[in-house]
Amino acid sequence: MNMHAQPQRTLAETALIDAFGERLSQLPGDGAVMVKRDDAIEAIKHGLPTRRVESWHYTDLRRLLTNVPAFEADAVAKALAPVLEGSAVLPVLNGVSQTKLPEIDGVTVQRLSEKLTDGSVAPGLDTYGDDDAIGALNTAFVADGYFVDIADATELEKPIELQNLQAGGQSHVRLLARVGAGAKAVIVERQTGEGDEALISSVSQLVVGDGAQVTWLIVQEQPDTATHLAQFKAHIGKDGKLTLFVMNAGGKLVRQEVVVRTTGEGADFKLRGINLLAGDTHTDTTMVLDHAVPHTTSTEVIRNVVTGKARGVFQGRINVHQYAQKTNAKMACNTLLLSDDGEFSTKPELEIFADDVVCGHGATVTEIDHNHLFYLMARGIDEKSARGLLVKAFVAEVIEELDDEALVEALEERLDGWFSTHG
Amino acid sequence: MPAVQETIDRVRKIDVDQYKYGFQTEIEMDKAPKGLSEDIIRFISAKKDEPDWMLEWRLGAYRRWLTLEEPTWARVHYPKIDFQDIYYYAAPKSTPGPKSLSDVDPELLKVYEKLGIPLKEQEILAGVQKPAAADGEAEIGDNVYKSGRVAVDAVFDSVSVVTTFKEELAKAGVIFCSISEAIREHPELVKKYLGSVVPTSDNFYATLNSAVFTDGSFVFVPKGVRCPMELSTYFRINEKNTGQFERTLIIAEEGAYVSYLEGCTAPQRDENQLHAAVVELIALDDAEIKYSTVQNWYPGDAEGKGGIYNFVTKRGDCRGDRSKISWTQVETGSAITWKYPSCILRGDDSSGEFYSIAVSNGYQQVDSGTKMIHLGKNTSSRIISKGIAAGFSQNTYRGQVSAHRKATNARNFTNCDSLLIGDQCGAHTVPYMEAKNATAKFEHEATTSKISEDQKFYVMQRGIPEEEAIALIVNGFVKDVIQQLPMEFAVEAQKLIGISLEGSVG
Repeated sequence: MNMHAQPQRTLAETALIDAFGERLSQLPGDGAVMVKRDDAIEAIKHGLPTRRVESWHYTDLRRLLTNVPAFEADAVAKALAPVLEGSAVLPVLNGVSQTKLPEIDGVTVQRLSEKLTDGSVAPGLDTYGDDDAIGALNTAFVADGYFVDIADATELEKPIELQNLQAGGQSHVRLLARVGAGAKAVIVERQTGEGDEALISSVSQLVVGDGAQVTWLIVQEQPDTATHLAQFKAHIGKDGKLTLFVMNAGGKLVRQEVVVRTTGEGADFKLRGINLLAGDTHTDTTMVLDHAVPHTTSTEVIRNVVTGKARGVFQGRINVHQYAQKTNAKMACNTLLLSDDGEFSTKPELEIFADDVVCGHGATVTEIDHNHLFYLMARGIDEKSARGLLVKAFVAEVIEELDDEALVEALEERLDGWFSTHG
Repeated sequence: MPAVQETIDRVRKIDVDQYKYGFQTEIEMDKAPKGLSEDIIRFISAKKDEPDWMLEWRLGAYRRWLTLEEPTWARVHYPKIDFQDIYYYAAPKSTPGPKSLSDVDPELLKVYEKLGIPLKEQEILAGVQKPAAADGEAEIGDNVYKSGRVAVDAVFDSVSVVTTFKEELAKAGVIFCSISEAIREHPELVKKYLGSVVPTSDNFYATLNSAVFTDGSFVFVPKGVRCPMELSTYFRINEKNTGQFERTLIIAEEGAYVSYLEGCTAPQRDENQLHAAVVELIALDDAEIKYSTVQNWYPGDAEGKGGIYNFVTKRGDCRGDRSKISWTQVETGSAITWKYPSCILRGDDSSGEFYSIAVSNGYQQVDSGTKMIHLGKNTSSRIISKGIAAGFSQNTYRGQVSAHRKATNARNFTNCDSLLIGDQCGAHTVPYMEAKNATAKFEHEATTSKISEDQKFYVMQRGIPEEEAIALIVNGFVKDVIQQLPMEFAVEAQKLIGISLEGSVG
């Protein structure tokens, strides 16, 4: 209980601090960037967050992060066929962006290493709080990624797929995007890899301009050797609309943070998430949503399926600021717990400082409804298939809501893929 | 609903931020020197004529406390408490311990009369209407108690001054006395159960309480006995700069039943006072304990000056199979509330309930909720929490529901709703749900809103003025919880809510 004593550094903490010393000379960045990197590593020197840090209550990073693999310069990763057919693919392979990139009308793409070198992204490297361990880790080590700028009033015909792929080792990537006023875009963030143990930190930052409409899909299918620490941060301008879809279907230790702020009246945010958890893994989805201005709306629906010895976490906090009157925010988190060794913890929070609001959240944890099972089995479907049908229907419901046939089909295909290996 | 009209009338009669129990009584007090040390603990223990093991228990807790840090995770803010600037023991001089009523200082009796707490058994039995106290201040109490018989343990600052109906309860085998008396008279029971639910090392304030608790109530209901009347403790802080540290221990043996009420008030003062209590409930096989609180400590004035810091640890242990513990609380007072009445559902088929209304106004800060820990098989729990925030107050629900590996078929339903009145207050919900068993079934729902214009329009359109309309809707909002209170208390609670919201409604 005595918090005065500075605990001894864990192996992982020491490895990170040592790695910083070794990597520093190779990391791109001007003076301003380097100052941010120093601040960030200082934060890590104070120790990784433990369960005593409220936002890390269910993911004791200090205890769970047991091993930090070294950087592997010669690991090979290859770009993959995109999730959505016809997408323009921007791959980051083993933490390195590519020079040969597709031309897209109305879109400017820059390598992030260049923007680090000229210091233009320095202000965005700040962490957002004392407990922002992922932000700190990424700021300290980030070497590359992309900056995608979609001009005002551009309606993208084809989706853009940002691929972050590695084959073991460490990589720290940032994906920045600005969607101009009145523009429309579908962006896929693909997080996957293969091979040996890996530590990945990935931070995505999105600015949704006034009246812009963005659908952003995070498809995380890391191998079960990977530690995946990711953050998605977005600002939504006046009358802007953001639909964020998160699919977690892999990884050994995963934390996906979603930090969203409505900055203009009429902004709307939708979060839809499915967590498919199997094996001896730990997956944490943590959302902090700030309704900072009046007349903004949000809905969040998270569905979880827990099998094997998997541990799942969903934390969702909705902050309604004092002047954010007429906020309408609803959040639901439903979990199917399918094995006795699995566990799921959820903490849906509401912090409300304005009075003229309608906010609510619901959370359930349960097993498969026996009545539903009976209904199907009474129609001659064997138990295993009936269970499979029900579980799939439970998560597919969230996908079907996306209202875009190509998206729905592509995601259902990923879903089928997961069920065929884990079903 | 006639009670609604009553609420409104009451609200009308009272000025903003007028706390009706704010009077102070001049009574000669016997106090320990200010501050906390092993000597003070020895002093308290000696005053209470306690056996050595009790002193050792206290000292152990004190040494543990020295190593602990004040918790800071709750959403409450207050200047650091100087634990050396508090009197840990203050007792009315004339009553060194509980005695018969005739020995009690008449001044003290007047206090309780003024508060509307009946200590004279004959009067209650005969149903005699007491003469109305000055300004009609005792009205509420009269309403509460004249309808039924309630045994009362009256705790004044650090000591229990009197316990009523002891003989009659003894006939049924029920022990109801102050905890100090229980330590002397029934050491075997106290030794067996004290600290078995809230260990001395539990948390900062519980550990402090273990070291310095001065009095409180002890209830023991033996096997198969249904306690013949409601039991009640009435806590009063009177003396300046004192902390009240009471300890309550309730044990219901196999098949026993007891319903217990707790009420609290304090004088109106500019400085803050500390109240750190520990309540332990133990229910064995098939036993049921119903614990109700109407907490009305002085909440501070309209500017947020003064008021009680209410840092309380309450926990019930459903130790036996098929046992049941039910917490009901109406929280309207205190400058700061930090309180989480919890249930450990250890026995198979045991069940826990938590019904709460927390009303905050002015600059009050409430961080309250519950914990339902499912350990046994087929356990169930139910949480209904209604928070109403007005003025500049902050009202937080914080609750945890967990099912452990072996808790097959654990079942929980949680509903927490918040109502905001005004745009300077905050309402927050922080539920934790942890399921480690596939057969667990947890449901949680929470809403936050202001009184809907549609509802208000509907009522007003029927010719009811706005203020009454709001009172009606608020009463409807809290109805689920009010219904859980013993009938005598339900009326009082309903009125209290009306009073607490005065100045913000309308």
